[in-house]
Amino acid sequence: MNSSNAKQETSMSLAKQFKQPHGAKWANDIRLAALNRFNDQGAPNKRDEYWKYTNPQKLTSIPTEPAALFSNEELPMFDGVDRLKIIFVDGVFDKDQSDDLTLEGAVIETLSEATLTDIHWAKDLFGALEKNGQDPVDRPLAALNTAMAEQGLIIHITSKCIKPLAIRYIHNSETSDVLVHNVIKLEKNSEFTLLESGAGAARFNSVLEVDVADNAKFNHIRTQGRDHERKTVTHLFARLAKESIFKSFTMTVNGILTRNDAILEFNGDDAKATVAGATAGDGVSFHHDDTVFITHDAVNCESRQVFKKVLRNGATGVFQGKILVKKDAQKTDGYQISQGLLLDDNSNFLAKPELEIYADDVACSHGSTVGAIDEDALFYLISRGVPRKQAQDMLVLAFLAEAIDEIDNNDLAEDINARLAAWMDRR
Amino acid sequence: MLNIKNLQVGLEEENKQILKGVDLNIGEGEVHAIMGPNGSGKSTTSYVLAGKDGYEITGGTVELNGHNLLDMDPEERAAAGLFLAFQYPVEIPGVGNMTFLRTAVNAQRKARGEKELTAGEFLKTLREKAKSLKIDSDMLKRPVNVGFSGGEKKRNEILQMAMLEPKMCVLDETDSGLDVDAMKLVAEGVNALRDGKRSFLVITHYQRLLDHIKPDVVHIMANGRIIKSGGPELALEVEKNGYADILAEVA
Amino acid sequence: MTDMIAKEGVEAETVEAVKSLSGKYKYGFSTDIESEYAPLGLDEDIVKLISKKNDEPEWMLDWRLQAFERWKLMKEPEWAMVDYPKINFQDIYYYSRPKSMSEDKPKSLDDVDPKLLETYAKLGIPLKEQALLAGVEAPKNDRKVAVDAVFDSVSVGTTFQKELKNAGVIFMSISEALKEHPELVKKYIGSVVPQSDNFYATLNSAVFSDGSFVYIPEGVKCPMELSTYFRINAENTGQFERTLIIAEKGSSVSYLEGCTAPKRDVAQLHAAVVELVILEDAEIKYSTVQNWYPGDENGKGGIYNFVTKRADCRGDRAKVMWTQVETGSAVTWKYPSCILRGNASQGEFYSIAIANNMQQADTGTKMIHLGKNTKSRIVSKGISAGKAQNTYRGLVSMHPKAANARNYTQCDSLLIGDKCGAHTVPYIEVKNNTARVEHEATTSKVDDDQLFYCRQRGMDEEEAVALVVNGFCKEVLQALPMEFAMEAQALVAISLEGSVG
Repeated sequence: MNSSNAKQETSMSLAKQFKQPHGAKWANDIRLAALNRFNDQGAPNKRDEYWKYTNPQKLTSIPTEPAALFSNEELPMFDGVDRLKIIFVDGVFDKDQSDDLTLEGAVIETLSEATLTDIHWAKDLFGALEKNGQDPVDRPLAALNTAMAEQGLIIHITSKCIKPLAIRYIHNSETSDVLVHNVIKLEKNSEFTLLESGAGAARFNSVLEVDVADNAKFNHIRTQGRDHERKTVTHLFARLAKESIFKSFTMTVNGILTRNDAILEFNGDDAKATVAGATAGDGVSFHHDDTVFITHDAVNCESRQVFKKVLRNGATGVFQGKILVKKDAQKTDGYQISQGLLLDDNSNFLAKPELEIYADDVACSHGSTVGAIDEDALFYLISRGVPRKQAQDMLVLAFLAEAIDEIDNNDLAEDINARLAAWMDRR
Repeated sequence: MLNIKNLQVGLEEENKQILKGVDLNIGEGEVHAIMGPNGSGKSTTSYVLAGKDGYEITGGTVELNGHNLLDMDPEERAAAGLFLAFQYPVEIPGVGNMTFLRTAVNAQRKARGEKELTAGEFLKTLREKAKSLKIDSDMLKRPVNVGFSGGEKKRNEILQMAMLEPKMCVLDETDSGLDVDAMKLVAEGVNALRDGKRSFLVITHYQRLLDHIKPDVVHIMANGRIIKSGGPELALEVEKNGYADILAEVA
Repeated sequence: MTDMIAKEGVEAETVEAVKSLSGKYKYGFSTDIESEYAPLGLDEDIVKLISKKNDEPEWMLDWRLQAFERWKLMKEPEWAMVDYPKINFQDIYYYSRPKSMSEDKPKSLDDVDPKLLETYAKLGIPLKEQALLAGVEAPKNDRKVAVDAVFDSVSVGTTFQKELKNAGVIFMSISEALKEHPELVKKYIGSVVPQSDNFYATLNSAVFSDGSFVYIPEGVKCPMELSTYFRINAENTGQFERTLIIAEKGSSVSYLEGCTAPKRDVAQLHAAVVELVILEDAEIKYSTVQNWYPGDENGKGGIYNFVTKRADCRGDRAKVMWTQVETGSAVTWKYPSCILRGNASQGEFYSIAIANNMQQADTGTKMIHLGKNTKSRIVSKGISAGKAQNTYRGLVSMHPKAANARNYTQCDSLLIGDKCGAHTVPYIEVKNNTARVEHEATTSKVDDDQLFYCRQRGMDEEEAVALVVNGFCKEVLQALPMEFAMEAQALVAISLEGSVG
């Protein structure tokens, strides 16, 4: 019918915006399959069920709307941390600004290098988790990314990495339209922390595929902000094996459109995963969407989804979270909480927390609340001598704390807390 | 009343033998106590008598007044007169305590072909027995065991015992988690039910309960077997010296 | 003593009911009666035929035809989490009526075919005055319930009409109302659920044959409970009833709806529309105990229950309470909703939905907060057993102008056995920062330890499950009107038969 033709047309034009990358046969095959996926699905539009609350128009318009560069006086994220630093400028790996790609316990290559190598372990992982994550909901922008992204990193973690890797995506051109694709494979018993920051481009589409083997541990902290005109869509696909631990936290401040997809699947028993986010949004043009799908296909796994959004001046926050417990996934413990704090009249919070459960010995709960600052709590603080504005800020930070608590590293958690406090200050 | 002969029981899920040949005979009106170190198989014995899932009977027999207990479903055993006072009584939200009791009482009566109690008869009896156990009407209305303190839960078990009038009562560590006063109250409730015909099997880790519920026979259980039996003085011996001596004796 | 038992012992009765009721669906019998049918299928002529059979005014026929034209262009919706063989809309009879009802409607119940009366007696529905709904013994103060009985497409009789008339209450079938109060029907029909609302509502607007019409005038508290009892009997017929209830300023009414159908091998379609209009300070309580034939253990036969129910709280402080116990039908698709337009209006939704064997249920509610200081409360208990799928789908929407609106939602799922599924799909849309939404959902199963505890005390496994499930549903059962509460409890127990072991 007409609407699906329109989708296909958009998808074909969108794909044409990017140069078709070429590499080794295995890479070409994977990319072609992804391109076919993208064209079959068609570009997303508002009528798709999981774009119902977020109009994807700004992510599919041709060309992209420009985004003004943004700089601020704050220290860049993660600067104080002892890390391996890798820089991308408008989606292109910058060798000069980055450290050498050597990290104890890891082997790091760029995507372009790896995909030129005839025989590479990444051939079993690159695009595989993305392909898997296409069911039951289409993720066309992720397929587009696999098909056309030329830049990114292929990382193999072989043992415990003490130093984290911090990738900074610098936004330098007002019209850049960028695809970045990262693949991380953690071997059994290994550990790795990934830090990501930076707006990346005028329009930034990223895919991160993470394969966590038995008993391995993956920590992820990502910040998106404060660029006011940022348009971003990120996809995090993860596959979790027996006894693995996966933690991902994202802080978002401002931006025109941010859509963060997280698609996790428990393949092995006794694993744990947490996906959390703290968001602060300001203005009618702010729109933030967290769409999280966690599938339990193993026994005794624990998942947590903790999302907090503070919205003011007409901002809109969206949460779509799903816990899917398959038939034999007994003893699943699934916890999901999504909360919106609206600081004024015009802000909006839309949520769709779903549960799809086919096993009976499970404990799954989800809660979603929306409201404003608790007047009673506010009065209590004021009556103890705290000025009103400060009291409000305290309560807002307390609200966000539950999500920030999910971060293991105390220093980083404190830093994030401080930046959110600064956002509060900038009324 | 109760005849356990060479009972051997293992776990269904794992390859582990818990009871390795238990012999026990309890006559009508007698009170027996079983003591023993942790992991000796005391609770397993009570669960197997009641018919809980998860255990595999690999040998031996259990007879209650001539009925082959091992062949019967849990509710059939209840109707035959067996009662287990649980160590950790479970909560059942939304189901009123009174309702639960009445349902249980009448279900057993029906199974035995007896006339069911009318609401009035039931209520009258319940109120009397609740009073002596210091269980107020508020507690009767609350959902079964929900929000009950440890002592309240145990008193509730004894109340059920009083209402169901079983022949063979098995008390699984009834005093665990209770302070002295609570324990005394529970013991009083149990003693009130001793009528010379009803038998009791009191499983306990500590001797102090047996100061209040005086047993006729005391057994020591270790490693899945009853290794020594004697009179009440056996319990005092354990309290003074612990289990080590007795275990050494038998080894 | 009786009163005491009525509150506490209500649960105990469930257990007794399980034992006393033999076999499964006890309403599965069919009545051997001659019926006339309209020709198979649906086209403009059938619509005209239905209108003519009911002797309707011209504008009503026009309205139907308008809906029919629209329906032809619409597509069947497929978004619900239910899976059923495609319905061939041309392979259904859209009208059937017992032949004895063909001519003028009987003047009194004494004129009604005794076989029809027998059916209702068998179902325990009292058509004669002085009896009560569904097997509850008459307590000390004579409780009267007026009943409108609908057999296939036709209203067979309405009791207590005279008494109600004295109070000014109008309670009659829609077909009668079209003759005696056409201006009232015209004013309100389609104003809460417009023809265009959804595929099945449009279909219903074209082919509805009968249903209940209730009008409570200003300031009147309806002196007795009103109820309609729906019985599908004819084979291969769809049932499309339309109910319209209007509560004028300051009035109130409690309405009960019961439904059963005989066991048939082929699925039957039931697409109803219920519209409630509630004006200032008025109150409607609408209770449903739905026990349509659910199909057999293999999913053969059963009723497809696609219903659109909506309440429009138009006046300030208007209140509506939906309570439902859904235990039957093969596929259920219904979302009783509240539009909270008036300031300080309130909507409540209490539901127990049970799906066993191969049943599928996708049900829930929508609370649309438009006015200020509006409140809504949702308590939904879903029980899945056998191979059934049970989905709660809800929408809570707080409009920008809905200052100080409040919603509390609790949806709990209970799974019995590991071959069924329980799903929750809530949509929460808040566009006003003074609004408060609280949503909680839990999933649990009937605990093995709980079952063992009950069995050690003498209950068998089915009794134990019934007891635990009852505790799970308690909050909703308490919201049901007395007569329904007992029937509902018994139904819950029967619906779970065979779900254990």
